[in-house]
Amino acid sequence: MITFDRFTLRNGLTVLFHKDITTPMAVVNTLYDVGARDESEDKTGFAHLFEHLMFGGSVNIPDFDAPLQMAGGESNAFTSNDITNYYDVLPAKNIETALWLESDRMLSLAFTPKSLEVQRNVVIEEFKQRYLNQPYGDVWLELRPLAYHQHPYKWATIGKEIKHIEDATMEDVRGFFSKHYVPANAILCIAGNFELEEIKTLVEKWYGDIPGGIKPARILPSEPVQQEFREKTIDRKVPANAFYYAFKMPERRNEGYYLADVLSDALGRDKSSRLYVSLKKEQQLVSDINAYITGSLDDGLLLISGKLNDGVSFEQLDRALWNELDKLKAHPIPASELQRLMIKIKTAREFQEQGLLNRAMNLCLFELLGDAEGINEEHEVYDAIQPEHLHETAIHLFKRENCTLLKVNATNDAE
Amino acid sequence: MLNRTLTPELKEIDQISFVSPAIHVIHGNARLYHMAEVPNNTSRLDLYFDAGTARGARAIAGFVNGMLLSGSESLSAIEIQSQIDALGGFYESGISQETAVISIYALKEHLLDIFRIIAYALEELSFTDKELKEMINDRRQKFKVNMEKVSFLAQREFQQRLFHNSIYGRVSDESDFEHVDREKLITFFNEHYLHGLYKVVVVGAVPVTEIEEIIATTSKWSKSSKNSYEKDLKNERGDAYVEKAGALQTAIRLGRILFNKAHEDYLDFLVLNTILGDYFGSRLMSNIREDKGYTYGIGSMVAELHETGYFLIATEVGKDVKDAALEEIKKELVRLKEELVPGEELELVKNYMLGQLLKSADGPYSMTDLFLSVEPHGLDLDFYNKAIESLHAIKPARIQELAQRYLNWEDFTIVAAG
Repeated sequence: MITFDRFTLRNGLTVLFHKDITTPMAVVNTLYDVGARDESEDKTGFAHLFEHLMFGGSVNIPDFDAPLQMAGGESNAFTSNDITNYYDVLPAKNIETALWLESDRMLSLAFTPKSLEVQRNVVIEEFKQRYLNQPYGDVWLELRPLAYHQHPYKWATIGKEIKHIEDATMEDVRGFFSKHYVPANAILCIAGNFELEEIKTLVEKWYGDIPGGIKPARILPSEPVQQEFREKTIDRKVPANAFYYAFKMPERRNEGYYLADVLSDALGRDKSSRLYVSLKKEQQLVSDINAYITGSLDDGLLLISGKLNDGVSFEQLDRALWNELDKLKAHPIPASELQRLMIKIKTAREFQEQGLLNRAMNLCLFELLGDAEGINEEHEVYDAIQPEHLHETAIHLFKRENCTLLKVNATNDAE
Repeated sequence: MLNRTLTPELKEIDQISFVSPAIHVIHGNARLYHMAEVPNNTSRLDLYFDAGTARGARAIAGFVNGMLLSGSESLSAIEIQSQIDALGGFYESGISQETAVISIYALKEHLLDIFRIIAYALEELSFTDKELKEMINDRRQKFKVNMEKVSFLAQREFQQRLFHNSIYGRVSDESDFEHVDREKLITFFNEHYLHGLYKVVVVGAVPVTEIEEIIATTSKWSKSSKNSYEKDLKNERGDAYVEKAGALQTAIRLGRILFNKAHEDYLDFLVLNTILGDYFGSRLMSNIREDKGYTYGIGSMVAELHETGYFLIATEVGKDVKDAALEEIKKELVRLKEELVPGEELELVKNYMLGQLLKSADGPYSMTDLFLSVEPHGLDLDFYNKAIESLHAIKPARIQELAQRYLNWEDFTIVAAG
């Protein structure tokens, strides 16, 4: 049970406080309800570039990191297609330094041209390091536009292309900030050994006078139901053929999300999963196979990916894979198998909840989904899952017309 | 009106309480360390074997490590994995030059049962032809994928030059995957696992009876003699370049053989290392990322071995700025040798390091890892109290002295791949 208190400032900022008396550290986690899905199609990669600029100094404080380091703390952030999340971890006795820094960059940034110029370059190097200069590094850049035709999930958080990042202007940056970085669009969670009243006073002190702004409406094109099997083959200079099967699955708040999650575990979470046992251990078709979900807030993807053994064709793999999917559609999984999946989920959760930072991040995420209390209710959703629910979901999900397939064909000469 | 330009008052971290695990003798030199103060249901078990990559003939140690749960004719790998998964266990095996470690993560009520499964699997292990073939095939493919990464190419070349003329410099290559001799794997496994255990770590509120059973089982595998490790290593100085056609970035690795916690300069050198490249505001990050935008990240570290250690700077930069980046790295080293670190920067780094130490002592898992980081050097947790004292005491002149002694470009091995 993860306990928390919630209060809201007059400017609309939602604040969660999670008390943990066992730790000398504190976490200040700030979730902004903006991600790559909120970008316009001709300016992609912007939410992520902006995350970098948030460390380039704010209106009253020239340097974000140095004062935090002086207080014994450190900070980082991540951007996804859905959200942008910033966190500070520091000794609890210096919590006020983090609140001072975070509130000032919520108030306004310094917007220095130097920061924009440098971070454009840093992000371009990140683009190369993680996506372009790695074997199989660009598959998500290829897969997303194949699986999504309308919804902005069709581009990756890093952006569609380097040019969008090169072209970012200061005017874009200012506009993005004033639209999305307002208290009404943020959720703050403070975790550590404090008293609620102390936290209320500190938060009011540092955040109380930030103008509230308006939470931007999110009107996204919804992705039409996929009606046809989609397939693309790309040639890459890589050592082995690789495959990525992507099935559309329900959004985060839907019960079906959890069913798809458990189905992906049944198929390919660990070394006793169905695809690993059948396609790798028994039939020796692949060197590596996994199933997982993207965890997206809007309609997401269930992925099955892996690499072929030498001499195995994509067609052989395809037949064997659908054969396993058809088994899930033909019969409910045995109760013992479900039990095995559930204890794994439970164990992973217990380990995850040990970390103060994880707890603070998840509280913010569940608050975004509607109620932070969801963090304590999620396990009930999993516990209620029965083999017949998974069976229905499998029938619905694992249809050819709900599937997008990206094949990476290993060549010796392609660039 | 709130004055937002003023820093809130800072409070110093004066003391940290360190808690040691309980120590049990397994047999001879082998020990079990038990951290029982875990306030939840999680647990971890680590088994350390004298089975690192420096042991045995080429590549053998890595192959054996990858096959520990591959079973026998009568007990399949799938059965073993299914049994572990049915108890919610997570299994990991890892290997370095000097050691091989098996780790199990599980809820504490299942830890002993999972340990029993793994113990049985190890005692049954027979390296079947099917499993051997599969492992070689998977490893060969992974190796080929890695050879497409500039970071891997640079690291591989760096390791050979850093551990010049030493078995630690041995790296895998394509030929390792041909003609693997099953008998050699069996011999290695018997010697280095079934008779090579030297340390067990348990984190978790598990009862004493379970610890006793783990001791009884592992004592059969424990090593009678003390482990021996390489010392007096020397890196091959100078530059090397590994060509990778079509690469968009160049990976850079540079460094030298240095020392570990047992050396009198270690603690003060860590301060120097942090200033140079071990935090977000470090000089390398400030210059090469935050000022020039040449890279997504650059860092330096001190890596420790049992009898020695090494210093490393690592980054990936745009292909066109490789020389410029190396030039800037060199400049930062020279600056540390020629100029005293300003008081405010040193103050910041001290505070940052104290905060990080407080964080790494937070919770039973972190505390155990702190202990495991001093234990191989014959030290105990009092080392960290000394670290706090020396952090408070260090002066800019000492940093400069260490930079002049240890950060000379001509002493470095410098590798670029791209």
